[in-house]
Amino acid sequence: MTRTSRRLVSVLAAATIATTMAACGGDDDSGGGGGGGGGTAEDNEATDPGMTEDSVLIGAHYPLTGPAAPGYSEIPTGVQAYFDFVNANGGVYDRQIEWRYLDDGYNPTNTGQVVNQLVLEDEVFAMMGGLGTATHNAALDLLNSEGVPDLFVASGSSLWDNPEDNPYTFGWQPDYESEGKIIGQYIAENLPDAKVGLFLQDDDFGEDGERGIRQYIDDQIVAAESYTSGNTDLGAQITALQQAGADFVVGFNTPIYTALSQLTALRLNYQPEWFYSNVGSDPQLVGSLLERFSSGAVTGTSLLEGVYTTDYLPTVDEVDNPWVQLFQRVWDESGQEGELTNFRIYGMSQAYTMVQALQAAGRNPTRDDLVAALEQAGGDFEGPALAPFRYSEDRHAGIGGMGVSRIGADGSAEELTGILITDVGDAEIEEYDGEESTPPESGIPDEEAIG
Amino acid sequence: MEEFLSLTLGGVVNGSVYAAFALALVLIWRSTRIVNFAQGSMAAATTFIAVAVIDSGQSYWVGLIVALLAGLVMGALIERVIIRPVEGGPELNAVIVTLGLFIAIQGAVALFAGVNQRAFVPPFSNIGYEVREGFTLLSLSPNTIWTVAAVVVTMLLLIALFRFTRLGLAMRASAFGQEVARLLGVRVGRMLTLGWALAAAVGALAGLLIAGDVSFISPTFMDQLIVFGFVAAVLGGLDSPIGAVVGGLLLGLALNYVRGYLDDSLLGMASLVILVIVLLVRPGGLFSTTPARRA
Repeated sequence: MTRTSRRLVSVLAAATIATTMAACGGDDDSGGGGGGGGGTAEDNEATDPGMTEDSVLIGAHYPLTGPAAPGYSEIPTGVQAYFDFVNANGGVYDRQIEWRYLDDGYNPTNTGQVVNQLVLEDEVFAMMGGLGTATHNAALDLLNSEGVPDLFVASGSSLWDNPEDNPYTFGWQPDYESEGKIIGQYIAENLPDAKVGLFLQDDDFGEDGERGIRQYIDDQIVAAESYTSGNTDLGAQITALQQAGADFVVGFNTPIYTALSQLTALRLNYQPEWFYSNVGSDPQLVGSLLERFSSGAVTGTSLLEGVYTTDYLPTVDEVDNPWVQLFQRVWDESGQEGELTNFRIYGMSQAYTMVQALQAAGRNPTRDDLVAALEQAGGDFEGPALAPFRYSEDRHAGIGGMGVSRIGADGSAEELTGILITDVGDAEIEEYDGEESTPPESGIPDEEAIG
Repeated sequence: MEEFLSLTLGGVVNGSVYAAFALALVLIWRSTRIVNFAQGSMAAATTFIAVAVIDSGQSYWVGLIVALLAGLVMGALIERVIIRPVEGGPELNAVIVTLGLFIAIQGAVALFAGVNQRAFVPPFSNIGYEVREGFTLLSLSPNTIWTVAAVVVTMLLLIALFRFTRLGLAMRASAFGQEVARLLGVRVGRMLTLGWALAAAVGALAGLLIAGDVSFISPTFMDQLIVFGFVAAVLGGLDSPIGAVVGGLLLGLALNYVRGYLDDSLLGMASLVILVIVLLVRPGGLFSTTPARRA
């Protein structure tokens, strides 16, 4: 053994002892955690990793580069804006929320690495809003085996609603299967003669959507084509839809593939009606991607005029909506670059739910307390979402409904249905009769601590 | 039948783009016996230079010329400054250097142009011709004709250069036997630099053609093409410009049939399966005349 390697070994040994001692210290503290919303900043204690006396660290992974980055990379800036807003008003139980997000480029291999880093090195208290089905799936086991609350995964896959195997993971947005059912029922009732083609991302996103939509219009579907994220040539798929005679195409795809499918259809002189599921339908983003191709003939959002989509959050064009007004104020105050977009509203809405969960978990919560708070109180949280969450001890599914709308010339959405509530499997679709929520005066939720 | 026709034409168009990229790899292989893994990010860099020119109000054609010149300069500089020290050493060194270059150039492009996807408008309309009522051939548009024509002309020019000019002869001689060429008065060093410069210019052309084809570009948009271009070059034997073009076309056709008749997600695997089969059956590639020769 050389001298350097001997020294290395002793350094490593010292480091190991230090971490072990730190870990033991952590165990002692967590005994006193949990419960109780009362008290003052003096009563704050560090509990689990990431929860100190005056801060709580929340982590996430997003595609900040690569094919999925357009739009999605704006979500964490929205989250940041809302957390800043809450922090400026005293934080949650006198703790500042720290927000740390890393780029995984929409590549599951990277997601595993960055989540490892967030959990093991940065020691986040909880994850929030990790984006993507395949990507987040790569981190699912690690988060659940480490007992890290894995909240509000930004994907509508049904994978996140499995409390038995993944007790720490919670969905947030409506699942793709329910969305498919709502789309299917709308087409069956309003467009019974349409010959429907499906344009699907070839993973759970497309599969779940297809399963839902086929429950209602299996006999109307004339073709189903799928694409792999990263392959940009859609010639074969769109040609096949055209050849099959589809005059109404439903897409379960990401925003850049909305742009690519529109361009490819244009090149083929193929003019069906389009219905893009919520994920791929942002008119501002798709409009800005397509703008250059129209050489000024049509501009911006009008390229998606007449396209059907679904909504489960208020959108940026609804300037009279009190939630949009709140988020506009929060965004302006945050002083970040760029405009308020639907993606930033999405991020702020998730951050709003996160603050509700932290409030419900009490002054000194452990990671398990946070999960328990969502299971007990999460189903009653009121926020910007148009339909309530489905959280309970047996369910970790997010928002349970959405409405069908059509995009107008200025990018605004015209509501075609009320809010429709449903669930996976053969649950019925029903009209939601609850009242629309309004934000609290302060703009910050005020949930009572459970227990 | 219509589907077959449209897949075949699409395969020819995609294949000609793979061919252009393979041509660039072949040129470098011929001159320095190095597989240049940085080819993709070099082409991305020149494409973004062209985009900057076009954004400043110039036409596509000015952008194209600037990109080609930038390619020439970049290729020559890289050969002189970075590759020259590892030339003639162990093969692995040069490969690692080009891999490092690949990452470094990609990072530089991202710093300069940002990481977001942006639209790239091709020079000609890419709206397909309507063959008959209700049937439009996507792969037959003014832009795809330009793409194929540009690749064919480039290939012919390269063949002419190598076959019929003294310069081409000197380049071939330098690649074939440096010592002998030097004894005969060929400035071997210059020939190698020229080989890299030419290759980077052809790569720049491929980059612009691909950008017009894929519609949206980011600093990583050439990554997928590296694999396909490499397979096309190996198919053709790495040594022959005609082989590169034929290899590119065959690969384009094969992949488009896979895409149309099987599944989109099998593309990457299909290209590697083809690579393995070719290497098993004809290790020297389809067009190699001297299978026993090694680098």
